[in-house]
Formats: sequence, C-alpha cells, structure tokens
Amino acid sequence: MADKSNDPVAMWQNMIGEMEKGFNAFANQAMASPEFSKVVNQVGGVSAGAQKQLGDMMEKYLAGLNLPSRAQMVSMAERLQSIEGQLNEIKALLHQVHSNSGAPEGGYPAAPKPPRTRRPPRAGGEQK
Amino acid sequence: MNAAAGLDLQSIPDRIQSEVQRAIQRSIKGVEYMASSGPSLGSTPKDILHVRGTMNLYHYRPIAGEVYRVPILIVMATTNRGYILDMVPGQSFIEFLLKRGYDVYMLDWSAPKPEEKSLRMEDYVLDFIPDCVRRVQRDSGETEVTVIGYCFGGVLSLLYGSIFADGPMKNLICFTTPVDFREMKLFQNFSDRRYFDVDRLVDSVGNVPPEMILSSFEMLRPASRAASQVQLWENIWNDEYVKSYRMFDRWATDTLPLAGEYFRTITKDLMWDNKLYNDVMSVGGRKADISKITVPILHAVAEHDHIVPYDAAKPLIQKIGSADKEEVVLKGGHVSLVAGANAIKRLWPKLDSWLGERSI
Repeated sequence: MADKSNDPVAMWQNMIGEMEKGFNAFANQAMASPEFSKVVNQVGGVSAGAQKQLGDMMEKYLAGLNLPSRAQMVSMAERLQSIEGQLNEIKALLHQVHSNSGAPEGGYPAAPKPPRTRRPPRAGGEQK
Repeated sequence: MNAAAGLDLQSIPDRIQSEVQRAIQRSIKGVEYMASSGPSLGSTPKDILHVRGTMNLYHYRPIAGEVYRVPILIVMATTNRGYILDMVPGQSFIEFLLKRGYDVYMLDWSAPKPEEKSLRMEDYVLDFIPDCVRRVQRDSGETEVTVIGYCFGGVLSLLYGSIFADGPMKNLICFTTPVDFREMKLFQNFSDRRYFDVDRLVDSVGNVPPEMILSSFEMLRPASRAASQVQLWENIWNDEYVKSYRMFDRWATDTLPLAGEYFRTITKDLMWDNKLYNDVMSVGGRKADISKITVPILHAVAEHDHIVPYDAAKPLIQKIGSADKEEVVLKGGHVSLVAGANAIKRLWPKLDSWLGERSI
C-alpha cells in the first residue's frame, strides 16, 4: 500500500486543508479587531444604503419598461414551488385514489391516522 | 518500498492510471455538473397545514403504523430553510423521525415580504409559535407537544417555553442554541455598537437582505468557500461527494432575509445587551426567563461549531429550570451536527433514545 505521507495527491489535499485552516484562523484574528468592525460597518452601511436605493431605482425603471424585478421573479419562483408542491400532493392523492378503486360510494375517507400508542423499544432493542 | 525516498515504486503506475482516469471523469462529470440540476430536496410527503405570511406549518405524513402519543413541532431557524432537516431519502432527519414512530410537524419560514419588515420578536414568540402549537394540538388531538428548535429556532423555542411555562410544551430539544451572545465573538465584533448602526440599516433597507446574512456567515470562515470549490473539482468524479456538496451548498446559500424590526431586537437585546443570558429578556412586555422552563430538555451542541461556539451555548443547561436536563456534545460542526453522515451516526439515534421514553 502506498505511504500516504508520500502520496502527492494526498499531500496536495492536506496542503489545501492546512491552508484553509491557516487562512481562516488568520482572518478570524484580523476580524476580531475593533478597526475591522469600524471599516466593515462604514463600508457596509454605505453600501447597504446605496444598494437599497439602487434596487428601488432599478425596480421603478423595470416597472417603466414593463419588466419584472428580481424580487418579483423570486416571489414568483416561490409561488411556483408552492404550486409544484401542491400538484405533487394532488398527484399522490390521485394515485392513492386510483389504487384504492374499491372505495365507498360516499367518497374517499381521509387516510386513517395511526394510533398514538407506540412505546419506546426495550433495552434489548425490541419494539414495545 | 524504496527506503531512501520512502516511495512505493510499485504503486506509482497504478496511482498515475487512477489519476488519469479521475482526470477524464472530472472533465465528463464537470460538464454534467454544469448541465444538470441538483437533487430534489425536502421531498418527504407532507401536508401544508397553514401558511400565513412568512410562516409555514407542515405536517409530515406518518410512515409507522403506530406513533408516539406526543407530537413534535420543529421550529426552524429564521435565517435558513427547513429542508436541511429533510435532505434526501436516507439522509433526512424528518424521515428518520417518521420511521421511528414520531408524528412530526414543522414551523418553517419563507422570505418575509417587504411589507413584513415590521414583524417583531413578539410576532414570532407570542403569535407564530403559539398559533402553530394550537394547530398541532387540534390536528393531532393531543394537548402536549414536544418542541425542537434548531439554532435561532432554539432561541425562539426557549423564549416561547419561558413565557408559556405552564404548558403545553412537554419536552424541549435544542440544537446548537446560543444563550450567551457575548461568546459569539466574531458576530459581536461585526455588530459592535460603536460602529454598527442597526437603526440606520433597518430604516434604510427594511428587511435585512439575505446576501448580508450569507456574507456574515461566510466571513466566519472566509477561505472555506474557495477551498470547498477546489475539493469539489478534485472529487467531481465521485457522484456521492457531488450529490452531498450540491445539497449542502444549495441549502447554505439559500439564506432568508430577516424582518427588519425582528433583526433590530436581536441586535439590541441579544447581541448588545445579552438580555437572555442576563435574565432580563422580555418579549412584548412579558418576561422571558429561561429558569422558568421546567420540562425535560436535551441540548445538542457541536464540538467544532464556528457559528454558535460552545461557550455561547453552554449556559443553556446551567440556567434552565428543568430537573431532567441533558447536554450532549457531539463531534461535528453547526450543520453536520443535524444533517449528513455524522448526524445519522451520532445525533439522531441519541435523540430517539432520549425522546422515545418521554413521548408516551
């Protein structure tokens, strides 16, 4: 078997891992300083405000062009996801109905809920 | 073995052949990766019991023929989507619970709309959670409910449990839940009150954008994203690795915005004044003292959690009023504690053995 300590691929992977750890530790140390907080918050505060203004302007501009904004697209995607979810529910229900074709005339009853009588397995691992 | 060089000469041709094969596979799979979408996540069958704005209440369809009497309500962290607990079959905490005979509900969040920027902490603690608990009671026919909170969902659960200490919470399980916010050192520094003007931020942006939440998480380990990309390329021939990478990457980057007022309270009351730890927290004028919680509690924390360091989570068990309380420190990080191969081996069986006997 190859010696891992001399495997160039393993050495490369190890080096990447060590570099990641080292850089993270170094950056965390730098980020713990009050100077870092001051600079980041100055820059972040300005950029968040500017981003918001730019976003609002862009939204108005897109509305003027009769185009949807990103936020509207994201919201639409969420609605689509929810519709997809509901379609899947309907599909599952239909499947259940189909496989249960001997259902009573008065319609299909809701799936029976399992009894709430379960007990934890005994120490030996057996249920109840 | 060549003793001088320490190299196994016989294995070199095999190693080269294997690396060439992997290089070919990388090229093929790399193209496939770009062209395909990731695995479908959160697909355990569920019914949506209620949706109101940012709040979604799901009921997962029971799998076992017989379930425990006490249902579970999972309260998800407000920054992330709940499908971290329902990745894919075989790696889903929800599926695990269903198979072990639990009746599972989840309070999950969708992105608050701009008009929801005024949602406050009291909306979450005094309205959303109690509303979901009532609906779980009605749907299950049971009075008592076990609450499981993940990360900040744990904080919300603690606040809820301390205000509604007389019930109906039967058991409380928290995953990586911070209590002493002074110990979240980097977040403390990012939100240093001398430089971080939370009022200006919230007043100007309304809801705190998800990009800002994501970058504050990523800043905790700034090299990790680049390193993970390198690791992905190296392992792109390995379908299992790629599948797992895509699941976790999609979830990690699928961050939610935070309602502005809610974020303002988190920053001022928790990050700045550490009110929960100092026993002076109140929500909507109601005192939230975690020593009032007396139900059985299990707190699972991760040894290498870079988001909620152990020192921030440790005081929970010390401060809680319960006599039946247990803290379990497991190997892993903030996410691998609850999802993935580590969780399957460590946390989930522990939780099952703890909760089963308290769910009858």
